[in-house]
Amino acid sequence: MTVQFLWIKLILLFTLLALVPLWVESSYIRHLFIIAFIYAVIASNWDLSLGYAGVFNFGHLTFFGIGVYTAAIATKALGVSPWLTIPLSGVTAACAALLMAAPVARLKGIYVVLVTFAVSQLVLQLVLSQSQITGGAEGMVRLPYLQIGDYKFIRDYKLGYYYMALSLLMSSTLFLVWLTKSPFGKSLRAVRDNEDYAQARGISISRQRVLALVMSAIFTGIIGGFYAIYLRVASPEVFSFGTMSLALSMVLIGGVGTIWGPVIAAIALTFATEAMAGIRGMEEARFILVAIAMIAVLRLAPGGVAGLLSRLVPEKN
Amino acid sequence: MSDALLTTLASGLVLGSLYALMASGLSVVWTTLGVFNFAHGALMMFGAYIAWTVSEAAGLGLLSGILAGTIVTGLVGVIIERLLIRSFYGNRNMLLITVMTTLAAMIIIEKGAQMIWGARLKQLPRLIEGEVSLFGTTVSAHEALIIGLAPTILLALWAFTTITSTGRSLRAVGQNQTSAALIGIHVPRAFSIAFAISAGLAGLTGALLGSIRFITPAMGSEPLVKAMIVVIFGGLGSLGATAGAAYVIGMLEAILILTVGLYWTPSLMFLVMIIVLVLRPNGLFGRRLI
Amino acid sequence: MSILLDVADVTAGYGNTTVLRGISLTLKEGKSIGLFGPNGHGKTTLLHTISGLIRPSSGTIHYMQRDISGESSANIVAKGLVHSPQGNTLFGDMGISETLELAAFTPRARTDKNLNLDYVYKLFPRLSERKKQLAKTLSGGERQMLSIGCAIMCSPKILMLDEPTLGLSPRLKKELGQAISKISLNGISMIIVEQDVEFLLSLTQRLYMIEHGEVVREIDRTDAPAHEEIMQLYFGGKQT
Repeated sequence: MTVQFLWIKLILLFTLLALVPLWVESSYIRHLFIIAFIYAVIASNWDLSLGYAGVFNFGHLTFFGIGVYTAAIATKALGVSPWLTIPLSGVTAACAALLMAAPVARLKGIYVVLVTFAVSQLVLQLVLSQSQITGGAEGMVRLPYLQIGDYKFIRDYKLGYYYMALSLLMSSTLFLVWLTKSPFGKSLRAVRDNEDYAQARGISISRQRVLALVMSAIFTGIIGGFYAIYLRVASPEVFSFGTMSLALSMVLIGGVGTIWGPVIAAIALTFATEAMAGIRGMEEARFILVAIAMIAVLRLAPGGVAGLLSRLVPEKN
Repeated sequence: MSDALLTTLASGLVLGSLYALMASGLSVVWTTLGVFNFAHGALMMFGAYIAWTVSEAAGLGLLSGILAGTIVTGLVGVIIERLLIRSFYGNRNMLLITVMTTLAAMIIIEKGAQMIWGARLKQLPRLIEGEVSLFGTTVSAHEALIIGLAPTILLALWAFTTITSTGRSLRAVGQNQTSAALIGIHVPRAFSIAFAISAGLAGLTGALLGSIRFITPAMGSEPLVKAMIVVIFGGLGSLGATAGAAYVIGMLEAILILTVGLYWTPSLMFLVMIIVLVLRPNGLFGRRLI
Repeated sequence: MSILLDVADVTAGYGNTTVLRGISLTLKEGKSIGLFGPNGHGKTTLLHTISGLIRPSSGTIHYMQRDISGESSANIVAKGLVHSPQGNTLFGDMGISETLELAAFTPRARTDKNLNLDYVYKLFPRLSERKKQLAKTLSGGERQMLSIGCAIMCSPKILMLDEPTLGLSPRLKKELGQAISKISLNGISMIIVEQDVEFLLSLTQRLYMIEHGEVVREIDRTDAPAHEEIMQLYFGGKQT
């Protein structure tokens, strides 16, 4: 789609979202939006590395988890202000992505999947085992909340948190769109679609992949920090398969390689799964439905989502 | 030799045997279809639950339970192949897509198990009660059985793929699909057979595990991850490499538990796995790269 | 003499690309035909379509008077229509004898397994000298012999060879040519794709020249043109 069309879509979307609190006063529904925005950041950033750059990164949620625990540990153990830890979470997540650079750059195909997954398990194990610092399996609670002066963000039915989450989503989306439209973004597409040609043009494949990974980690980490501060809880649940597959389904159903698709899908799926959680007997079944939806999207593939999926080039043999 | 070392040796053997069983199924599917089945751990869990249902809930005895666990899970494997893998043959993104569809299958099986059997812990009785002396230390008889069973099953698997026509056809399909079709091998049928065997092995392993671990819907995650470590170490190429790697990993884990303790062991195992991959992108013994 | 294979007006290709445009040819029992023509014009695609690797988008293929278009490759092999593809790399990690034994996979092939195996080793003594050698370590010529050997193990009524002598030395080419004519003397009808028209004429009774996915010229051996005309067919002028 043309750039202008994309901008119009985004402006429309964010204006609408900004106006939501005018109509919606329920603390619960605003909470749902906040969670939706958080997932939207996770999913759209995952789309950058997985969909746009074609990196088989299955450890994306690690960045989120690292962001969560950075904020938790920094505020609780080190007494850092929550306002500072949120950007700090982005930094630590980006560092983690850099550490994954060596394996991701050198490996191909299934091994990238396995090694990125292994990293996520490694971090999970570290979190579980170093329980003095991280609270282990029980996690950490009573993290400090956001406030400016006397204004606590939870006031007015979470109004402050709503706009904070929305602005983080907007910043993340702007960042991603700017990135993908830039020469760097174009080189990512080149690497994904035609590796040999890209190499012949002097583009370093491994460097682009690592950069894409690091870029995708920044806002994911930041939103992780926000998540921890907002819920005032950090738990190893963030590393679970359940969280990962929900985020992945948002990437797939929204449209791989589009950035904005996963944003919409995140909002839609968050509300859908929440609505389903209310129905008796659906607490587990809703995950099954999401998984089925994911399979359906992959199979029924015509144009739309999988038309984009077919542009995903597997790593060279 | 010191006591601690002997105990470590024994537990390394038990772990290695378990991991060999867990990883062999993954290896069969990988070498035949080029697909990494993320639902493999969930299938183990499913096998354990089926075994429990037949053995305990229906009271038909442990052996029937294990048999049922193996067969029913094998059938589920065929279903997975038909619904989640088959339509992506020839797709150039098949690897990535099937990673995602099998991940989805894992969620479905896990949440499904939770819905059907609930989250309360269950357990299967042991095949043999009592203890046995091994290398001068004592192991449970059931674990000793596993130590004996694993190589036997692996050998049977190896014999199947080397001697029988069907087994050879699986290897042929894994090496060259077109040539296999042109000598009269039904490639889709071979895929189904591979998945049936792989899933059956997973179910069997789960049923055996169900006596020494608690049966919960989430019990498949750890075996899946361990199986992953094994196939990474051994390279995904051959059954022999997988088996060898399994015992190496089992020993490594036992030694780590002895030296650095239970808390640090899992983290170190992953670290070692990542380092191995960086230094040897094809795995320790691996040759084939896809 | 009955018609063994009847390809009628077949259109086929890969994805959105059409390669065969309404191509037709027939193979009579006891006879062999040769296909030649410029590269990329459909000879290999034709064999792939007949053996079931590609599904024709229109037209029919009748083998022994029964329509096989759309059948799976495995079924077609089971009926005795066997294809030895170009540059067949076979099964890299399997030995020669293992491969040949596996190739007797269909019920039809299994009944004649030992007979065929002896025959293959007699035809290609080089294979019997290296029964345990892995396919991936074979030379080009040996791999071709193994590929043809496998095809024979399938007990074919029709054997299709796609460029069996491609990339081989003149000596090997001659050796393979002799083996191929022995096979055809044994009663197996063949479809051979080759670049060398004279080589084809020595092995088959009828030639089809294929250009742009259709047959543009048919040559009967009894009626074969002179050497110069053959060269012209190759390098020169457009035929109508």
